[in-house]
Amino acid sequence: MRRRRLTVSGIITTLVMIFLYAPIVAVVVFSVDRDPLLLHWTGFTVHWYKVAVHDPEVFADFVTSLEAAGLSTVLSLAVAITAGLWFRRASARARRMFDLLTYSRIVLPEVLVALGLFALMEKLGIPLGLWAIVVGHVVFNSAYATVIIQARFATLGMSLEQAAADLGASPWRVFRRVTMPLLRPAVLVAGLLAISFSFDDVVSSLFLGGTSVETIPVLLLGMIRLHVTPEVNAIGAGQMLITTVTFAMAGLITVLRPTGAGEMLGLGRRAAR
Amino acid sequence: MSGGQSVSSGGPVSRTARFGVWMTRVLSRVAPGLAGRGLLLPSVLAAGLFFLVPLGLLLLYSFGSVNLLNYQVYFGWTFSNYTSIIRSIYVGVMLRSLALSLGATVACLLIGFPVAYTIARASGRRQAVLLVMIMVPFWTSFIVRTYGIYNVISYNGPLDRLLNAVGLIHGQLQSLLFQPAGIGIGIVYSYLPLMVLPIYVALERIEPNLLLAASDLGARPLRVLLRVVVPLAAPGIVAGCMLVGIPATGEYTIPAILGGGKTVMYGNVVSDQFLSLGNYPFGSAIAMALTVVILAVLLWLRSRAARAESRTVR
Repeated sequence: MRRRRLTVSGIITTLVMIFLYAPIVAVVVFSVDRDPLLLHWTGFTVHWYKVAVHDPEVFADFVTSLEAAGLSTVLSLAVAITAGLWFRRASARARRMFDLLTYSRIVLPEVLVALGLFALMEKLGIPLGLWAIVVGHVVFNSAYATVIIQARFATLGMSLEQAAADLGASPWRVFRRVTMPLLRPAVLVAGLLAISFSFDDVVSSLFLGGTSVETIPVLLLGMIRLHVTPEVNAIGAGQMLITTVTFAMAGLITVLRPTGAGEMLGLGRRAAR
Repeated sequence: MSGGQSVSSGGPVSRTARFGVWMTRVLSRVAPGLAGRGLLLPSVLAAGLFFLVPLGLLLLYSFGSVNLLNYQVYFGWTFSNYTSIIRSIYVGVMLRSLALSLGATVACLLIGFPVAYTIARASGRRQAVLLVMIMVPFWTSFIVRTYGIYNVISYNGPLDRLLNAVGLIHGQLQSLLFQPAGIGIGIVYSYLPLMVLPIYVALERIEPNLLLAASDLGARPLRVLLRVVVPLAAPGIVAGCMLVGIPATGEYTIPAILGGGKTVMYGNVVSDQFLSLGNYPFGSAIAMALTVVILAVLLWLRSRAARAESRTVR
């Protein structure tokens, strides 16, 4: 039997947990607080959610967020899957170069890339807007998806695909009937993560959306900076629900199915190297 | 409405898809090497056109010049943008912002290490619960969490009232919001899981017998911690500092919300040059300076990590 003692690190851990959850709980509590000044608890209401749902700006931005998430996820998966197929046959030197490019997209501050894209779009005369946002999201989402799908490819080997090819299947048929089913859990996890990251992104969406197109996080940023209304809490709680559920689904699939992405989600060994 | 969404109808899409299939088939028969390289094309776009080219453009701009009357940007080969960083009013802002992100990283380490230690020492079920509890806030929305901190530390907010109720302070705690300390709290809050997890992984890998041996040989707990545990956890500590410090240095959103325009950080200074002042060359020079700093830190940490790793193996 281990005796649980009151240790310094135990106390710090407890305080940290309170610190981590208190602000999130505060947002949710404020979102159902009747007090329009957000000073006191004056009773439960869903009024602010109704206000948010009926706000046409919120609706338009929600649609933009969905479009950006959907498009950038599909494109990122296409990048990651083709990259995974290429990676298996690539030389060690090419692999190292490729890994460097993948990880630098994850590591480098987003501000730099987003501003670079902003300047590039302007230089080439490409208008900012939804597609610019999608490009910005593809930069980091494709990197995360590549890491996850590469990890799955690494556990697969090629024997099943070779067997299918030996039995006379065309390369496309092998890909569709053998490779893709084996990859599916990893693709699902990478896709859910990409949706979650895209839905939560502020910087690229802010810089690349231009003046007329904005996503929910950009709307939230503007509302918080100008004046905080109780509606902000309701939108925030809704936004949080979406990102959390997509991320948690990715986590659940990782636990239940072999994806090779477990360490990625937990930021385990890969990050510790 | 800018953006130009081109929503294609079903016909051309399926035709394009069929053409793609046919092309793949032909290419893979005729020249397998070519098809293999074709698979790289999407990545070349994502990593080359969307990542390297924009950064390259910033590099080019940083040696260029701008006519501030009509905002026309010219390419050129001048170092004046870099030299004017040192003379500008921004150098103080940038150094302070680097110090702030460094301070926040150290704070993350000091808070995160005991947490990681507790999790690593916990048994089975309790450990899993603690790990999930650390991760769940990280899964929720980043901007909403920052707004949550804004709520908590704002004028007459919960923290304010709590501290007043306990009698720690009298009057308002306005000092945190829109101040460097507030931004520091925001950074620690957002990035703490990224510090805890790698350190936890490193602590998990430590052979328990080593700790027993140290205490059997007469080392007191604190000495065991400092001379055995911390050195063995070094790779995790380095990884954690990297995962926190680098994004924190380029952070835009947290200072935008918690700094209230009064306290800005590096990321905000750079983006202001592009988005509101229109001085692309100067903004690019600041951006490149930041990139160089980050790359230098990365390389230094990597060599440290490699050395620490080789020590653990031996």
